[in-house]
Amino acid sequence: MEKLHFTFKATQPITHPVHIGVVASGDLEVIMRPTTGDSELDIVTGSDGFHDVWQHVLERFFDRYPIQAKFEINDFGATPGVVNLRLTQAMEALKDAQ
Amino acid sequence: MRNSFVELHARQRAEALLDAGTGRELIGPLDNMISPQLEPQGIVPESDDGVVIMKGQINGKNVVIAAIEGAFQGGGIGEVSGAKIVSAFEQALADNKAGKTIYPIIILDTGGVRLQEANYGLLSISEIHNIVIALKKYVPVIGLVPGRVGSFGGMSITSALLSYLIGTDRARIGLNGPEVIEQEAGVREFDSSDKNLIWNTLGTKQRLATGIVDEIVDDDVVAFKQAIAAAITAHKDSHRDQKSDFYLTLLDQLDPTAPLDTVGYRKMFAAVQPETHHLAPAQASQTPGTPSRGRLWFEKLTGIQNAQSDVSTVLHAKKDGREYIAIVADEHNRFPRVRHGEVGLVEGFTVASVVNDLVAADKDKAVKTPIIMVVDVPSQAYGYKEELIGIHLSLAASAAAYARARQAGHPVVAFIPGDAVSGGFLAHGLQSNRLIALDDLGITIQAMSKASAARITQRTIAELEEATKHVPAMAYDIENYRKLGALYKLIEGVHSKDANDQAVATVQGVIQHALDSLEDAPTDLSFRYTNPIAVKSGRVATNKVRQMMAEQWPD
Repeated sequence: MEKLHFTFKATQPITHPVHIGVVASGDLEVIMRPTTGDSELDIVTGSDGFHDVWQHVLERFFDRYPIQAKFEINDFGATPGVVNLRLTQAMEALKDAQ
Repeated sequence: MRNSFVELHARQRAEALLDAGTGRELIGPLDNMISPQLEPQGIVPESDDGVVIMKGQINGKNVVIAAIEGAFQGGGIGEVSGAKIVSAFEQALADNKAGKTIYPIIILDTGGVRLQEANYGLLSISEIHNIVIALKKYVPVIGLVPGRVGSFGGMSITSALLSYLIGTDRARIGLNGPEVIEQEAGVREFDSSDKNLIWNTLGTKQRLATGIVDEIVDDDVVAFKQAIAAAITAHKDSHRDQKSDFYLTLLDQLDPTAPLDTVGYRKMFAAVQPETHHLAPAQASQTPGTPSRGRLWFEKLTGIQNAQSDVSTVLHAKKDGREYIAIVADEHNRFPRVRHGEVGLVEGFTVASVVNDLVAADKDKAVKTPIIMVVDVPSQAYGYKEELIGIHLSLAASAAAYARARQAGHPVVAFIPGDAVSGGFLAHGLQSNRLIALDDLGITIQAMSKASAARITQRTIAELEEATKHVPAMAYDIENYRKLGALYKLIEGVHSKDANDQAVATVQGVIQHALDSLEDAPTDLSFRYTNPIAVKSGRVATNKVRQMMAEQWPD
């Protein structure tokens, strides 16, 4: 298990917290809470040594959705594709909530 | 197109069952109630700790659903997830007592105790057992076993306590997983690689034919919803935890050494004509029984030398107005998997019968006979026939009997001079409202042997021992167990194998103290999380969950 922390510049406020996903094998859960300023991400992952991969996946996500949120991610070995999918689903859930 | 229920995760399952727009989750993922035990062991937690509690309506009737997420840590029950279920069901009990009918539903998708917080898991599951028994006086408690993990371990004992159990043909129900039986009893007892054998034995088709599950529905959301609604309306109750006479009759007819397959067992099951069973108190004899700490202390506390009983492994006797009950070893037991003091099929049903007889005898008395369990149970029995017949039913019968006795006003004290492990402890020990143990490092308290726990959690025994050193939740010794706050008293200076006169007097004195403390005390299990050790350190998360549930429960 490894704990990772990232900060990304963000500009778009969100109004609702959202939760998506399950900490199943090869999967993860994502929580986003409204915040102001930069986005902070706290990640607990069962797969050690993937800091750079997370960095790339998150850069692409924030390029597309520069949302101001406090992220909590619990990851049980999801591939980058699954991470991206869950983040996108969280954005859809956010859209529904708003 | 079918709308699969099995394929859904816990939250979606709960939402799918509830009438549209009525669902409200309590202590949800945004409430930050994460298990404090997992991260220190290097395990990724989940924000809901694998249990979703949702209030809502089914066909206009108020329900509360506890849905276990089988995909997270095998649906194992830990401190937080267990406390969520217990606290929600306690709120439901209070509502029902106040005339506000609400039906509890539990979706089982679970391997039982979460081994990474094993001691909490066992405590929590015993507390679930208690609340289910209490609720059944008011409303049916409906269970679903949709399938993927199925229902195993201590939560299968829960399944046996539920009023009505609904499954699909994709589910399995058993106590000990096949891997654990193979680990404990050898591959010839149960080959955990033989998937057909596993499904034919533990699958719901066999279980429906042999009284372990009540109804099988298609894997379809609407089918589940209809089955639940029908069970609620009809107040269906299988009384599965009160069939001791049936099973004791069946076991009288069973040859434990002869082969028995699923077809043979179905025939046997269908032919049973239940006869009433009452176990007479133990008598003194000339021949010593198989030595064990349980036997030693039973004999010393009751004054019966070489105690003998018609069921060689269950001793009970009244002394000074107290009823003592012990499960003891019999090295010549006709059941080969029950020769070292394990709780087997006969033991659970027999203890249930003894306790039920006592409760019936005291029914109209204002002051109920105190029950003192003498606990020395190295485990439940690990065997193929045990699973085929359903050893979880036996353990459930015993747990239910003790819970009902306590709820009826019998003071129930467990005295632990020996081991207190796993399902054996759930059946004989954990339904007491005072736990007393000897401060002796020869005593093991746990959910599973180290060998099996290491195998299931994919660690070496050395890694497991290292992990247990730092986490009292995982400890195997009584002194670490004490830190959880579960014990009423840890008796110092008395060795478990030396029941000399002074030691016996000390123990008698502590038992008397425990009984005195139970006068006008609650008949539930709340002492375990309300005492100072529990409040300060042992059950902090439990108490936090309870407080949050109380705040969030009102509509």
